[in-house]
Amino acid sequence: MKALLVAQALLPAALALLPAQTPSCELVPGWTRQGPARAYEASNLFEYMDGNAEGYLLYGFVAMHGVNCVNGGDSILIDVSEFADADSAYGMYSANRDLRLPAEKLGAGGQVTPRRVIFTKDRFYAELAASPDKDHTPALRAFSAALEIMLPGSTAVPAALAWFPADGQKSARLVPESVLGLRLLKRGYVAEYEFGKAFVVQESSPEAAAAVMEKLRARFGVSGDPLQLTDRYLGRLCFMRKGSYIVGYANVAEGHDPSVLAAALAARVP
Amino acid sequence: MPDSSRRNFLLAGLAVPAAASAARPFADDQKHAAPLRTPVVSSGEPQLRYRILGDTGLKVTSVGFGCMITSDASVIERAADVGITYFDTARVYQSGNNERMVGAALKGKRQNLTLSSKTPSKTKEAALADLDTSLRELGTDHLDIWYLHAKTKPAEITDELIDAQQTAKKAGKIRFAGVSTHSGQAELIPALTANPHIDVILTAYNFSMGQTLDPAIAAAHKAGKGVVAMKVMAGGFRNTKPGDKLYNTFKKDGALLSALRWVLKSPDIDTTIPSMTDMDQLEENLKAMTGGFTKSDEGLLARQLERIAPLYCRMCGHCDGSCAKGLPVADILRCLTYADGYGQFSLGRERFLELPAEVAQVRCDSCSTCTVTCPHGVRVSERLGRAQELFA
Repeated sequence: MKALLVAQALLPAALALLPAQTPSCELVPGWTRQGPARAYEASNLFEYMDGNAEGYLLYGFVAMHGVNCVNGGDSILIDVSEFADADSAYGMYSANRDLRLPAEKLGAGGQVTPRRVIFTKDRFYAELAASPDKDHTPALRAFSAALEIMLPGSTAVPAALAWFPADGQKSARLVPESVLGLRLLKRGYVAEYEFGKAFVVQESSPEAAAAVMEKLRARFGVSGDPLQLTDRYLGRLCFMRKGSYIVGYANVAEGHDPSVLAAALAARVP
Repeated sequence: MPDSSRRNFLLAGLAVPAAASAARPFADDQKHAAPLRTPVVSSGEPQLRYRILGDTGLKVTSVGFGCMITSDASVIERAADVGITYFDTARVYQSGNNERMVGAALKGKRQNLTLSSKTPSKTKEAALADLDTSLRELGTDHLDIWYLHAKTKPAEITDELIDAQQTAKKAGKIRFAGVSTHSGQAELIPALTANPHIDVILTAYNFSMGQTLDPAIAAAHKAGKGVVAMKVMAGGFRNTKPGDKLYNTFKKDGALLSALRWVLKSPDIDTTIPSMTDMDQLEENLKAMTGGFTKSDEGLLARQLERIAPLYCRMCGHCDGSCAKGLPVADILRCLTYADGYGQFSLGRERFLELPAEVAQVRCDSCSTCTVTCPHGVRVSERLGRAQELFA
């Protein structure tokens, strides 16, 4: 806590020297930068993280700024990635958080472990990792708290998350392409429950959403509105259009009615 | 950099207390399968093509499944059901969530499949800890192939990491040892070929780099290494944006298949692991297994090459040491890429000025002829001259 207060006191001076999204080791007293700051864009991210860059590009990665900070024998690597919008940054966070571990109110959402912090705020996604192998929580919290203040924008979670019923929800995340593994459903949110998974996909207009519904009917060879069927992989499912949105449930367990669930979800979508 | 590399970063904190083990025993016939050298064979519907993965004897479909960016487990599950037999993930994908999804998707199908994962760790202890986590997350008691992830030079294949793989083999936790590489293959693949402890090489390989790598890949294959190709779609396809000259061409259905077919026509590539996010992509890739590389494919890829060839340094290492004045050509071209390609002039200049003074002072226009040739068609002397003009 003390480190956090010191960091906050020093923040204005540090901020004056930095572009908004560039982390600095000076955010926390006692830490200094090791080596040059780094910056990457979508076209060259692979130079930094060959083998994992596509995971970022999938979410509309725009740029990354990072530094390595050292203090005695400890080091913390900080990277702040900028995405196209807040939804995408939150999507990156939700794809990388560990659902078995608790989340914290850090930015729009975050996770803190003894050697690692990830959090998202607005269109930014921050990753901090410490070494050697021991508990670095105080330093990580100090850096992440300072970064949270430094990064511009809102700490609100994406509005779509509120549409999904909270009761029994195991996870909710942005799927950046091919929701339910269907190319027709380009991008949307999916929330998982014990009894199935709910989804909301936004199209550009009611007409576009209606056209996608028509293609879904053709694909599955089923008529009707809402569209109900059983698929080998997606189980009992229901698609329903509301304005520009296509909402529904898939893999619905016996004892639950997909169309009732979808209608209830649609009622929550504006 | 001390123990704070990007890969350790990605790993830090990923391991969580073990849940009850979901490990399943694997079938004896798979564990002890004798190495086979059989020709390509095919089955009925859907039409699948199989190849043997080097001296491992593993029989895999020529199109495997790169799970890295898959969001919905149903696509992986379906791929296994239609007959895809090779699935690849890594410890770092989605901070470990990817392995968990793959494990769930393949539950109950494991014994008929070839499954691989990777470790980015640099020490034996950390690598073996990664392996135990991978096994737990994937719900299996062994990996068929365990790769050292994203290596770029022979020095990164340390005795310690080889020892980790051998230890894991002896413990029955892996069947075969591999190395994955995205860059520096010109130097790395021959070193891996000569290394008797490496069974499988997973390399980026696509139409934009093939001619340079072909001899090294052929030699590796001839030596009995299993060769797996990734990045077969030449990332540029996925990254092509609306407004780019060839956006509409490359986004249309079937265009990606041209790149995949180009890789599949190589007899030295045992299998491929294109990323797949949806059922449609899966169906298309299945078609690529049986369709041959056509004139139409050739034309499409030629147009893409024409666009990128003169400017895009692939960092293959072919030109290393070939400049009469000792210029590190790839390093300088990378500086230029920062400025010209990504709009980061200051970063490009910063990197250029980090070069040794004797290198930074060289001017290409003082040479009457250039000793550097690029197998990919990059106009090297012109590009180096531009870098010197911009940064020096």
